[in-house]
Amino acid sequence: MQSSTEGKGVIAMETDRLVDDYLRRLEAAAAHLGRPRRAELVLEIREHIETALREEDAASEAAVRNVLERLGPPEEIVEAVEIPPEETRAGTRRLETAAIVALLVPFLGWLVGAALVMLSRAWSAREKLVGLALLVLALVIPAVGFVIGSSDGVSEPVRVGAPDEPTTSTGDVEVAFMFLVFAIGLPSAVYFAWRLRRETATAA
Amino acid sequence: MEPGDARKTLSQLRRGTVEFCVLALLRDGERYGFELVRELSDVDGLVTSEGTIYPLLSRLRKEELVTTFWQESESGPPRRYYRLTAAGTRALADFTAEWARFRASVDAILDGRKGSDRHGD
Repeated sequence: MQSSTEGKGVIAMETDRLVDDYLRRLEAAAAHLGRPRRAELVLEIREHIETALREEDAASEAAVRNVLERLGPPEEIVEAVEIPPEETRAGTRRLETAAIVALLVPFLGWLVGAALVMLSRAWSAREKLVGLALLVLALVIPAVGFVIGSSDGVSEPVRVGAPDEPTTSTGDVEVAFMFLVFAIGLPSAVYFAWRLRRETATAA
Repeated sequence: MEPGDARKTLSQLRRGTVEFCVLALLRDGERYGFELVRELSDVDGLVTSEGTIYPLLSRLRKEELVTTFWQESESGPPRRYYRLTAAGTRALADFTAEWARFRASVDAILDGRKGSDRHGD
């Protein structure tokens, strides 16, 4: 297939494509690692490939395939990355737990939870975006519904738990409202907890 | 035992011991990453895929068993060299002693020499 008469550019393009594909797979497999760790790993593997090909002195497609095969599947390389215990267990895991619990507490808790999520390094930027978007969505959708629903009588909506409320219907509304308020942080907290479990599972 | 189980055990054993092989290779002087990786993978049955050594090297660095420095190379870009630290030397010495005991014990049991060894044969 690749005779010497074939243009050198074609071979170079094919080998570049193989290397690029490999590094992309590595990057994808390492998505759950923190950015510095991922960048370091990809850089080291890239350097390895370049050094290996320089030693081969002919970067033929076969040479590239051999180098990549000796490196092993990118997924296997990422599996060998051990997240240090202080990052997954005692240390930052406490921060992550605090963040998830805080997200379940209305108002001030959401703010604190969001801040802790941003501080944590256990979730990727993408996971943070998705998780916090869930919170904002859960906040906006019922708020819009509430505004539309109570457009006729604008009363103080944050007055929670008044036991001596005379009319039962208003009390029911308030109980439902309370449940709703507590449920707002739930999707986000569940999402973050799920991603955290995945992270520790891969690290183990 | 299923053959799969033996494979799994061996892969865990390999995981735990390869890091000391890295330290041992550095005993005689500094080496750069690629060199280390190729030397380890050229030994039969030690490393299944070369790429997995890089995460190991970065862990050894974080644990301060090795230090790294960059050095110019005649062919190509600068290389990252690895050098054993004092802690690395100690860890290697500890492992070497324990490994000799461990290997002797396992060999003795596998060969069925357990009883005779015990009685100081």
